[in-house]
Amino acid sequence: MKQKQKEMLVTVAFTLLSLSLFLLLWSILSINNPDFLPSPLTCIKKFQAMLGRPISKVSLGGHILASLKRVLLAVLCATIIGIPLGLAMGWSKKINAFVSPIFEFLRPIPPIAWIPLVILWFGVGEFSKVFLVTLGAYVPILMNTITGVKMVPPVLLNVGKIYKASSVQILKEIVLPAALPAIFAGLKTAVSCGWMVVLAAEMMASKSGVGFLITRGMEAYDVAMIIVGMCIIGVVGYLISICLSFLERRLCPWKTNLE
Amino acid sequence: MEDKSRVKMSLRNISKSYYSRKETQEAVRDVSFDVMENEFLVLLGPGQCGKTVLLNIIAGLEEPTTGKMLYEGKEFTGVNDGFGLVFQKTALMDWKTVIENVEFGLKIKHTDKQKRREIAEKYIDLVGLKGFENSYPRQLSGGMKQRTGIARAYSTNPGVLLMDEPFGALDAQTRYMMENEILRIWNEDKRTIVFVTNNIEEAVTLGDRIILLSSCPAEVKQIYVPNLPRPRDNMSPEFLAFREMIEKNTDMAL
Repeated sequence: MKQKQKEMLVTVAFTLLSLSLFLLLWSILSINNPDFLPSPLTCIKKFQAMLGRPISKVSLGGHILASLKRVLLAVLCATIIGIPLGLAMGWSKKINAFVSPIFEFLRPIPPIAWIPLVILWFGVGEFSKVFLVTLGAYVPILMNTITGVKMVPPVLLNVGKIYKASSVQILKEIVLPAALPAIFAGLKTAVSCGWMVVLAAEMMASKSGVGFLITRGMEAYDVAMIIVGMCIIGVVGYLISICLSFLERRLCPWKTNLE
Repeated sequence: MEDKSRVKMSLRNISKSYYSRKETQEAVRDVSFDVMENEFLVLLGPGQCGKTVLLNIIAGLEEPTTGKMLYEGKEFTGVNDGFGLVFQKTALMDWKTVIENVEFGLKIKHTDKQKRREIAEKYIDLVGLKGFENSYPRQLSGGMKQRTGIARAYSTNPGVLLMDEPFGALDAQTRYMMENEILRIWNEDKRTIVFVTNNIEEAVTLGDRIILLSSCPAEVKQIYVPNLPRPRDNMSPEFLAFREMIEKNTDMAL
């Protein structure tokens, strides 16, 4: 017990050390060029100011929510497409052979490269942004679902055969749960990918969202605002990953809830 | 004494070959034998060859190249509902608790929830896992995992239990314990058992009859009947003599 507490203490100490060194370095660097790099204190003051007054008629929380909403909607779409398609591709060689040439060709094109086409086709509205984020988010979900299905131990499929389970039963009782941890890992990556793409989408044309804050800061030559926007991205992304780990523990108790 | 004169299952001239472009590999050659009702039959064979293939054929997981099989006098092919299988590598589902694993076969066969709980509880009790119903397989020891596998095989009330080297992965101590346990379970709830092993001592400890298979391809080499009273003392002169007799006749595995 004592040993564990000691280890905890060391971890906390090093975390604090690294954070304070980072802030110190930042402060030193900002002394000479406060216009290019405002000090941490300036940024905190800017953050307080942004909390107090709406930017472009939307509060700071509203901007964060706007981005989050786009990401979640896109991840939902990506899940609805990615999981069934991934199950089918992992399960059936024919479906895999049919879909994978197109998928492999589309996969390396980054969502940002789609921006001109998407604007041309759908304009700059909400749909375009969600569409772009979906393009970024479906890839990891699909890939991980395929891998998850292919990695199901054959001996478990034999258990299904022994009891004459139907294909639907095998899929529902064996394949899907066996692939769930892999699918979940894909989901996590999808959310962080989505979070990256949404900012790019918002910087292109938007009236709300964290990406908009950064563009706004750039247009107004307000460097502190840019940095605050970036920090918000980091913190929100971190919080999302904590939420997902929590959800994973609830959904896959056999993986993590073992003492 | 229980009746062991009735034939429960028969294999007639079962052979299995695998064909590739270059060569033909023979895994099982012309195997025929009967299994009696409530008999503990051991299929003993060296190393990697043929035994598991033969058991998979009986279980319906593989098709024989030639030959036929009968269950209670009727010819059958493919998976037989009258059989239960205990797997070599336990084959438990990590995401299901012990009781959910045991219930699996019944769930697939659409037994209603309350009924299958009852049946699962009964066999969990039989294999000595009471109190561990809600544990996940990863929380169990090797022996407990295999007990779960045995309970699952029992749950669908099979006429024949097929066991594919179920204790092969266990450490020696646990293995001895599980050998005694399987005899106790079998005594409490009699079934016909076909037990595959590569361990001569295990075969002599367990079997009513021992069918010795040769190495690659598996052929019936000899059938032994260890008329030793149970529980068998694996240090007694009779036991050791019997064991040595089989050992001398066993093909060396590479």
